[in-house]
Amino acid sequence: MDKAISLKNVTHTYQANTPFAQNALDNVTLNIEKGEFTAIIGHTGSGKSTLVQHINALLKPTTGSLNVLGKVITPTTTNKNLKAFRKQVGMVFQFPEKQLFEETVIKDIMFGPKNYGATDEEARHSAEHAMKLVGLDHSLSNKSPFDLSGGQMRRVAIAGVLAMDPEILILDEPTAGLDPRGHNEIMDLAKYLNQQQHMTIILITHQMDDVVNYATNVVVMDQGQAVKIGPPDTIFTNLDWLRKMQLDLPSSAEFARKLESAGIAFDQLPLTVNQLVDRVAQLVGKKAAHE
Amino acid sequence: MSNFIFGRYLPGHSWIHRMSPQSKLLLSFYFVIVIFFANNGYSYGLLSALIVFVILMSGVSIAYFLKGIRPLIWLIVFTVLLQVLFSSGGHVLWHFGPFSITDQSLINGGFIFIRFLLIIMISTVLTLTTTPLAIADGVQTVLKPLKKVKFPVDTLALMLSIALRFVPTLMDEMETILNAQRARGVDFGSGSLKHRVKAAVPLLVPLFTGAINHAENLSTAMEARGFSDSEHRTKYRLYKWQFRDTISWIVFLLVGGLVLVFRKY
Repeated sequence: MDKAISLKNVTHTYQANTPFAQNALDNVTLNIEKGEFTAIIGHTGSGKSTLVQHINALLKPTTGSLNVLGKVITPTTTNKNLKAFRKQVGMVFQFPEKQLFEETVIKDIMFGPKNYGATDEEARHSAEHAMKLVGLDHSLSNKSPFDLSGGQMRRVAIAGVLAMDPEILILDEPTAGLDPRGHNEIMDLAKYLNQQQHMTIILITHQMDDVVNYATNVVVMDQGQAVKIGPPDTIFTNLDWLRKMQLDLPSSAEFARKLESAGIAFDQLPLTVNQLVDRVAQLVGKKAAHE
Repeated sequence: MSNFIFGRYLPGHSWIHRMSPQSKLLLSFYFVIVIFFANNGYSYGLLSALIVFVILMSGVSIAYFLKGIRPLIWLIVFTVLLQVLFSSGGHVLWHFGPFSITDQSLINGGFIFIRFLLIIMISTVLTLTTTPLAIADGVQTVLKPLKKVKFPVDTLALMLSIALRFVPTLMDEMETILNAQRARGVDFGSGSLKHRVKAAVPLLVPLFTGAINHAENLSTAMEARGFSDSEHRTKYRLYKWQFRDTISWIVFLLVGGLVLVFRKY
């Protein structure tokens, strides 16, 4: 598989050479392949958001370099010629509804494509497509974004990024503050984009259930370092280590542990609801066969 | 921008950090007035020595301090140049069209340069060693006499402390919005003037709506916690006049007196 993103010894220091200097990334080396669904987890202040802002070249490394879709970004990369590159990396920030500003929903979604040189007609076409993707009704097109509900505003903001048709989509806690239904809809949209449109997805989240349900690859951040990289089932094995990283188990695994303490043994902790159901069904079946 | 220290706070425990904010505010004000009384090399020398001493007492390294006020040097140089080129009086050393340089204007320019530097330095020391909230409290204490003429001192102090507290929050939000719009293909800070003004719209509209939302949430939260008016409140943070304040005032008053004496020479 092709590498979409590869970081090499990336370090980032905020306000370098002042008493306010703060080391946010510390020698991070990692690769993310094309079409992968990567979750980045870690406690608050571990450097997750700083990391993803490098992928879009919004921040540049203090030392080290990264290669995103063939574009090499080093500490000396200038802001010139980054526009075309940024089109390929869509970035949905935390609480993206804060970035809405146009008079109408459709205009706001068209804003991105038009910045990248699309004509009015092309922009409208991709905006309408994006609205459909995020599940916004066509009738909202000419409403003011400030009249919408929080969940709808969030979707307009995400549509504004999707309308640019990026190859990599970065979602920084896209479901924070949403109700369970809005949460599932956004996560399912991410899954659809990943599986049907083969978009490379990077998700920052604190929800371990989302990690095990959606991600194929997990990066654990701690104090500015990528301390563990691998598929979800290798991440959630060492409980003591997880506790040290201030991370939780997914709820299915948590439940399975309670079953364990009641005397039911699992050879491997089930991470998703489906795995848990399978294991329990197996055990019940075994028991039935026994009797 | 990140090296710019004017108006920032640097935590510490120095003599100056622990002075009461009202006396620091008044001292800086007094110092600025004294600067305008200085009129010769002796008095400026004395004031410069005092400011160096103050910076040393604040625990901020001089090198870092000088680096931090460097961005302001262009403003000073510009003003000094205007003064040097356009003032009259004294022996003309050089002239070209409307510009002329005289020995008097050179001396005046030099004094203005030192004045600017001293004023910027004392106010930078003030903000570096005093938290914004303490400054707001200090302003409230200093303005207290104005209550007699029905000036809403408490309301002003409240507005000031809320404004100061939200400066970093709004800066953070601006940064996020800036980045979010950049990710959507906005080019800030390049192109023609018209283009730049247009690029500010996607930044300003969300910033203003955000500020209005903050105001609405904050006022609701304040009401819910029993806030009705800014008068008739007790205070949590109390800054008492301390011995160290008295000492500092004695030093500054002595220097001020000496400056008045030097005027005659």
